[in-house]
Amino acid sequence: MCSIRRFLAFVAALLLSGPSYAASAADTPGILVSRQLLAKARLSVGDVVTLAADAGGTRARQFRIAGVYEPTPDPMKFNVERIETRLHLDDLLGVVADPSDPSAADAVSAINVALPNPSSGSAFSRALLAKTPFVVAVPTRDSENSTFQVIDRFHTAIAAVTVVGSTAFLLALMVIRAEERKETVGILRLIGISRTTIMTEVVVEGLLVAIAGAAVGVLIASAAQHGVNRFFQARYDTALVFMRVSPAIAARSVAVAIPVGVVAGAVASWTLLRRRASSLVRR
Amino acid sequence: MTPLALAWRTARRYRARAVLAVIGVAVIGALNFDMLMLSRGLVLSFADLLNGTNYNIRITGNTGQVFARSPVDHAATLMQKLAALPEIASVATMRTAFAAIVEPTRLPQSVELIGSSDPSGLGVWRRVSGSNLGATSEGAAAQPAVVSQTLADRFKVAPGATIHVRVGITGSMSAMPAIPLRVVGIGDFPFESADALIVATSMAGFAQAHGGVVNDQAEFMFAASRPNVSTDAAVAAIERLRSDIRAYSNEELVANFAKNAFTYFRQISVVLSTTTAAFSFLLVTTLLTVSVNQRLGEVAALRALGIRRRHIAATLLWEAVLLVGIGGAFALPLGELLARSLDGILRRMPGLPAGLHFFAFEPQSLVLHVLVLAVTALVSSAYPVWLAVNLPIAQTLRQEVVS
Repeated sequence: MCSIRRFLAFVAALLLSGPSYAASAADTPGILVSRQLLAKARLSVGDVVTLAADAGGTRARQFRIAGVYEPTPDPMKFNVERIETRLHLDDLLGVVADPSDPSAADAVSAINVALPNPSSGSAFSRALLAKTPFVVAVPTRDSENSTFQVIDRFHTAIAAVTVVGSTAFLLALMVIRAEERKETVGILRLIGISRTTIMTEVVVEGLLVAIAGAAVGVLIASAAQHGVNRFFQARYDTALVFMRVSPAIAARSVAVAIPVGVVAGAVASWTLLRRRASSLVRR
Repeated sequence: MTPLALAWRTARRYRARAVLAVIGVAVIGALNFDMLMLSRGLVLSFADLLNGTNYNIRITGNTGQVFARSPVDHAATLMQKLAALPEIASVATMRTAFAAIVEPTRLPQSVELIGSSDPSGLGVWRRVSGSNLGATSEGAAAQPAVVSQTLADRFKVAPGATIHVRVGITGSMSAMPAIPLRVVGIGDFPFESADALIVATSMAGFAQAHGGVVNDQAEFMFAASRPNVSTDAAVAAIERLRSDIRAYSNEELVANFAKNAFTYFRQISVVLSTTTAAFSFLLVTTLLTVSVNQRLGEVAALRALGIRRRHIAATLLWEAVLLVGIGGAFALPLGELLARSLDGILRRMPGLPAGLHFFAFEPQSLVLHVLVLAVTALVSSAYPVWLAVNLPIAQTLRQEVVS
């Protein structure tokens, strides 16, 4: 447990490091407060505040505000007001640990562990559980059912449905376009242009429409992301980025558009090419 | 011929495009319908969960977040006082603890131990097989237990089996011995995640697991108001008893849940329902406009024959209504299927209560869906109608003949 304490004290010191913290008054220990807490409680750097274990003032101690920090954006806490403060582990235990319980000062809520092989998280979890039944190890990444994997799958499913709807509409438009050019296609067939050439032309047209549509969509999303992020960041008072159009996402959108365009073009050309040339030019 | 009949004939004449447009509207409409169901699905589902229990009031400590309140101190005394209130019909209490199942043949497995003063489970579980806790006997060798389905499957236990449970004392250097519990039933625990390993026992069993010494606290207390007393009056009466407790009616909890929990899904439902409505409008407008442009000669000929503008406009409007209406009707069953699929994806979220669903049908969603589609049909036909009724007849006919 001692090594754990030293480790957490080190982490706390690391979090609290910086010139403003080092410059705190000698007698009163320094703390950092979140930007949100500073604004809500109308505090200033240098103020002396009292922290206690409960609202009744149990084990109250004074601290000097050494600095302000922006809480690390956390998607799991984006709608939670970040009223937080950071202090040295020893200072924290001095406030919250019950002196009548000798083990209270040697208890921590969570320990972060970095494994040499990150993929062995499940094996580590099982081994730890076997030795200490009441300590649960949860891998922080690569979990098949982690919240963000689930949300990612949800968004992908919605995107897939949207693509199906868009394909139906693009098909309808391409069919109308093909109908419009029925006579032209009939004449082209009569003067000897092959079905393959005509089909290729319609498929290429569908492809171009789909790619242009995807490109415009990416441009609109890129333009919208700034507004969306600004709105939600202001709404939840967080630095979290809610929407990001990355090159990979843009490339995926265009990649999805290509088969959609090809299918739409192929179906539209089939509606024309299945008929005899003479029936296409008949008025 | 009526405008509706003419619109129907036009749709049948251009069957391929009409079918494709209906498919498009059905798919996008299904997504729109799902987003409307998603917007209040969690709240309705949570309300169903709460109202499915026998109690309409929850009592906790007076500090902490709404869904993570401090425990109630001096729970036994409070329970007696609550039971004596004229506004209260019944009271129950619940305790939880970290525990582990320790069997000689396998590794220890962490579980959640629940102690309940209500043998039928407070609504915290619903019996699937076997029986509920029933009458508890203080000095019995093995107290009864109801276990979750996941635990029963993993440990291959059935009613009649005995399991050994050892509790962990948080923040204390204490190692309790394991106690035997007799499994009397298997239950669904809708407030816990589907894969949660739960053992629920009587309060006597809970105390026995703690070596017979358990502090007089309760994580939750449940109360049911008398039928002739309003819930608010019962809540007020409870809160008058002590200043360190807080009582919530089910309605209050649902309101808090709506305000604080899963707001992301409400927001995304608003964004996506707006986007899908705009998408439907744009695409139906485009289809109708292109379709009208293709049939300018036909429209001009009808006008030249003496068909009134109003008749032409009504025909186009009916075309839009047919496309959007038929597509919208198909969107309902399609939306239901899609909602089940999306719900299945979202319900794999870790720690989500098994009884909670993201999509819930309510008449309000259906009314809104119909309204959105009606507005889409009306607005999307506006431009094509304008094109058709302002058509220069002679010039259009001449162009048709020349081309």
